[in-house]
Amino acid sequence: MPVSASHSLYGLDPGIPLHGQRVLIVDDNTFNRRTLTRFLTWAGIRRVDAVTETDEIMAALETVNPDMVVIDCDMAGLDGIALCRRLRDDRRWRDLPVVMQTGLPSDQFRAVCFQAGATDIIGKPVNPGECIARVRYHLERRQLIHELRGFRERVERELMQARDMQLALVPETAHVAAVGERHAMWIDAAFRSSDEIGGDFWSLFELDGERLAVFVADFSGHGITAAINAFRLHTLLLRLAPTDMADPAALLTLLNQRLKEILPVGQFATAFYGIIDRATGLLTYSAAGAPNPILGTGGGFRPLDASGFLLGAFYEAAFENHVVPFSRGESLFLYSDGLSEAQDMFGCMMGEDGLLNLVADAARRNHARPLPCLLDTVASRYGDRLHDDLTAVWITRR
Amino acid sequence: MDYRVSKNAEAPDTTVVYLSGRMTFADHETFRGVIAAFDGPAGQRMIFDLSELAFIDSSGLGMFIIARDTAQKRGLEFSIRAARDEVKRLITVAKFHRMFDITD
Repeated sequence: MPVSASHSLYGLDPGIPLHGQRVLIVDDNTFNRRTLTRFLTWAGIRRVDAVTETDEIMAALETVNPDMVVIDCDMAGLDGIALCRRLRDDRRWRDLPVVMQTGLPSDQFRAVCFQAGATDIIGKPVNPGECIARVRYHLERRQLIHELRGFRERVERELMQARDMQLALVPETAHVAAVGERHAMWIDAAFRSSDEIGGDFWSLFELDGERLAVFVADFSGHGITAAINAFRLHTLLLRLAPTDMADPAALLTLLNQRLKEILPVGQFATAFYGIIDRATGLLTYSAAGAPNPILGTGGGFRPLDASGFLLGAFYEAAFENHVVPFSRGESLFLYSDGLSEAQDMFGCMMGEDGLLNLVADAARRNHARPLPCLLDTVASRYGDRLHDDLTAVWITRR
Repeated sequence: MDYRVSKNAEAPDTTVVYLSGRMTFADHETFRGVIAAFDGPAGQRMIFDLSELAFIDSSGLGMFIIARDTAQKRGLEFSIRAARDEVKRLITVAKFHRMFDITD
């Protein structure tokens, strides 16, 4: 019995449209079905189906695929509680609103119903106002949850795509290995994106046959914003001339100005840019408030000073070069704060000292290429679910 | 992160904001409330007291930069004091003492 869209019970606001929603009634009493169908129609629901035999219920759920099921517990041969439990045990119907109908339900019966997973209980005889309000409440809520879920799934897909794009920004394993061969170095790198995606970025640049440059950066914040900033940096680096890449401090000064022009206040990157020159046996580097890289020599491991103005934060920032010997057999370990700020199960942060210990320990077990061993230890002690991106690059001169 | 804004009757031109706990990416919304305290007449002194702040990440440093920028735009004096341990280490690594008024 169609009703005009403007119709509403007691002149109340009918609420958001529910035209597309389907309700399945499980009831063998013709009068009850008619009454309920009429109320549902008043509630703005146009698609009502009914089941009158208990053995048809599951098949009807499949064919109708309802947004709500209304079960009459007084139906002959039907155990409404058992049916409710059965629906809740099935992944497909776990979230389906299940409304139970029964004459004069006791408090104990209500409690058992709710424990079995019923969404709501309507006593008989059914009052139209209450019935419509309850049905609408559950259907509206379901619709909102569906919309939210859809939105969330979309955002997650976008984040996944952004993460894949970010992974494609950094050098591939085969390329890293080939560069290492050309420059007589073992180079191992790990680049992992957190669930939230962050702004990590790293790259290698072969300046000539003797000089290899490595760039590591980490943008503040998380999410798409940080990832987009990593892309911006990548684009800036691609546009630079080879002469811009030859002086670390000059490069950071240039990047600082370019980034300051485009970044909102409060966004910046920490960065490290170093050039390993095999002809002179020196590492020349400049840094922008990055985690301190770890230099491995015959005398053990020590942090290098990577303090410096945050990249893209202040126009007036100036950067300086540091020069340290980097001979054959020595190693340089670069990493993002996603590693050093990792927390164990007790909320205890690794910190720089903790990392130094782990690095020394890994190098004892595998002198030339300790990175896989180091990351295994980190995963076992700090878990492999990251709260932030993780970049780790280990370079050993052969 | 938690914060409390303290105005002292003996120093009416000074507002001290005590930051405590861990200041991370998750505190952007909370920090809006901190920035809302930057509402005094020009010349007012805003002080961030970090004696109770245990940890800060790079997003937290970004919030200090926003605070500095807000103060400059409104003609307020802005300073940071009493950073300790890990927080002190991080603001030193970022060379904040060259861009901010920082006292122990």
